[in-house]
Amino acid sequence: MKKKVLATLLATAMVVSCLAGCGKSGNDAAGSPATDSPATDEAAPATDDAAQAEDETAPAADASGSPVDTLIANTTGTVTMRVWASEEDQDFTNTLLDNFKAAYPDVTFDITLGAESESTAKDTVLTDIEAAADVYAFADDQINELVQAGALQEVAAHYTYDVAAENAGGAVEAATVDGKLYAYPMTADNGYFMFYDSSVFTADDVKSLEKMIEVADAAGKKIAMDISNGWYIYSFFQGAGLELSLNADGMTNTCTWNAAGGTDVAQAIIDLTASNVFVDMGDEDMATQIAEGNVVACVNGTWRAETAQEAWGDNYAACKLPTFNAGGKDCQMSSYSGYKLVGVNPHSANLGWAMLLAEFLTNEEAQAARFETRGLGPANITAASSDAVQSNPAIAALAAQAAYATPQRVGGNFWSPAETLGQILASGNPDGTDLQTLLDTTVEGITAPVE
Amino acid sequence: MKKAIKSIIRHFILLFLAVVWLIPILWLFVTSFSGYKGINTSHFFPETWTLDNYAQLFLRSDSIVQYNRWFLNTLVIAIFSCLISTILVLMVSYTMSKLRFTGRKGLMSFSIILNMFPGVLSMIAIYFILKTIGLTNSHLGMIIVYSAGAGLGYLICKGFMDTISISLSEAARLEGASEAKIFWSVIIPLSKPIIVYTVINAFLAPWGDFVFAKLMLNSGVATDWTVAIGLFNMLGKSMINKYFSVFCAGGVIIAIPISILFVIMQKCYVEGITGGSVKG
Repeated sequence: MKKKVLATLLATAMVVSCLAGCGKSGNDAAGSPATDSPATDEAAPATDDAAQAEDETAPAADASGSPVDTLIANTTGTVTMRVWASEEDQDFTNTLLDNFKAAYPDVTFDITLGAESESTAKDTVLTDIEAAADVYAFADDQINELVQAGALQEVAAHYTYDVAAENAGGAVEAATVDGKLYAYPMTADNGYFMFYDSSVFTADDVKSLEKMIEVADAAGKKIAMDISNGWYIYSFFQGAGLELSLNADGMTNTCTWNAAGGTDVAQAIIDLTASNVFVDMGDEDMATQIAEGNVVACVNGTWRAETAQEAWGDNYAACKLPTFNAGGKDCQMSSYSGYKLVGVNPHSANLGWAMLLAEFLTNEEAQAARFETRGLGPANITAASSDAVQSNPAIAALAAQAAYATPQRVGGNFWSPAETLGQILASGNPDGTDLQTLLDTTVEGITAPVE
Repeated sequence: MKKAIKSIIRHFILLFLAVVWLIPILWLFVTSFSGYKGINTSHFFPETWTLDNYAQLFLRSDSIVQYNRWFLNTLVIAIFSCLISTILVLMVSYTMSKLRFTGRKGLMSFSIILNMFPGVLSMIAIYFILKTIGLTNSHLGMIIVYSAGAGLGYLICKGFMDTISISLSEAARLEGASEAKIFWSVIIPLSKPIIVYTVINAFLAPWGDFVFAKLMLNSGVATDWTVAIGLFNMLGKSMINKYFSVFCAGGVIIAIPISILFVIMQKCYVEGITGGSVKG
């Protein structure tokens, strides 16, 4: 009997302690982001004119030395940081990290490099911001959501170079939310333009899409574009002067694609694809088709430069997007410009060092080296004006297209309706839906409120 | 004559099912020898054949392919989870099958119901609990997650142990054997077939798991990954055109430890016949 009582007591004690343990951990997990946020504000680097000498991690511009010296002086023990860069960027980033460690020999670093694609960084970071890397690279279209979720530390001050002044205006704009700079521009080549085989097209041919189709048809080859993708189909509508923009709430869209002239654009896309020379094709398919020689021109980005160069050799060329004819009028195709940015996680334990590292990964030297080793277009003004960068066909084409490009600022509801629209138009509107109705439905989907 | 036709029809159905079942595996196998690394293949059999994909897996580790490391990680996690799970399942089964205590029925039903909830339901909770103890991104944490709840899956094993005559354990008890002695020396040697089943099951779960691994190992550091995450990573949109056939090779290699495990265990399957231990 006694034994049984004891056993019951023990069991109860175990259950209770177990529950208590769970309760505590649950609270911790739920409460920490909220309590952390104010704390990180204190730890943020102070602006140059407002020196906070007592703040440990702040790069205060006090009389005793540069912010970096202050940071080093205030650092005791090992600085542990985690960095995320894309798979293709691993080797290059490792070199930069070694240089970073060598640049500050007095400090012991423990920096680990993880792999996370810039295009999916937002999803992974927002799964658990506290568990995300201290410094991570991401594509500029994710910045709004990252800022809203508190996953980006504001760049209120700088250690080694002036981020806003040294990078191109478009890149800085792309890294800015509500007038505050939240990230360090890394590359400025995430947009699209036209690749072509100069043995098929002359420089004059590529000025108009209609002409290109004519030439390609005569050669029995194809021109590819991922029309059934909101990112690319945007170029037609924006080019014709119709609008798509993000509302102030950062989630819903304003779209005028169904306004006057919209049906002309839709009809133009149907006409362009009707010949079956200008075809709707995904990125991966395009890579194969270019290699097999079926596609002689395509709308794509720098990431396909290598494929095109291998296939076309000396005839590899690139230019800005051509014009297309909508309702009897030639319109210059627009595009989305894209930037890759480096952000600092406000939950980082070594915020000062994380910001310094982010600067190191994106400074002029790093951007120039990134162009040399990986062929990525720099956002840094000085690095971008070098002869090597200027003579790269893809980067030059991007620069020419830049005049007609806009940064990608669009809410999540855009993609799916735009994709459907692209599919219907590229397949020649098989159901024969009235184009105005089709556009009305699309716009309704794009501008739908976000729950 | 009629019989022969029926037999032919039956065999055709079986052949059809076999083909449907085998084609994807065959495709994976032949693609793993493809000289073309990308995914856009318009042929079933590769145009060029090479062993390079396997060489790349094992000999040329880069930041994307660290197969040896992943393989070792997965193997360690799977082996430890397998050992712990198997022991837990067997012990719970023995308790439920051979011992009589108050609340046994209630406890049994409770654990079966608990086990019916899909594990993914508690995934987020488990993640946060482990995060507070600092066990995310650790292989120890993964072993705990995989093996901790294993005891709940005792049902099939208990059913098997129920068929072992109670007179055996009674006889042992009369000879003065403790419960542990009965468990290890009488019941376990008679339970070989079900042990094989339990071991293979307990090994396969962590070996092929993706969901928990993806959630737990979120540091992005490739050396921590398991094979499943590593292979998945090769399918990223910027990698797939360079690594698809390497991915296939990795998928083929995955089958090897399982096959070895089965070949070893198969002997016990045959040997584990309990006949003759009890006289009628």
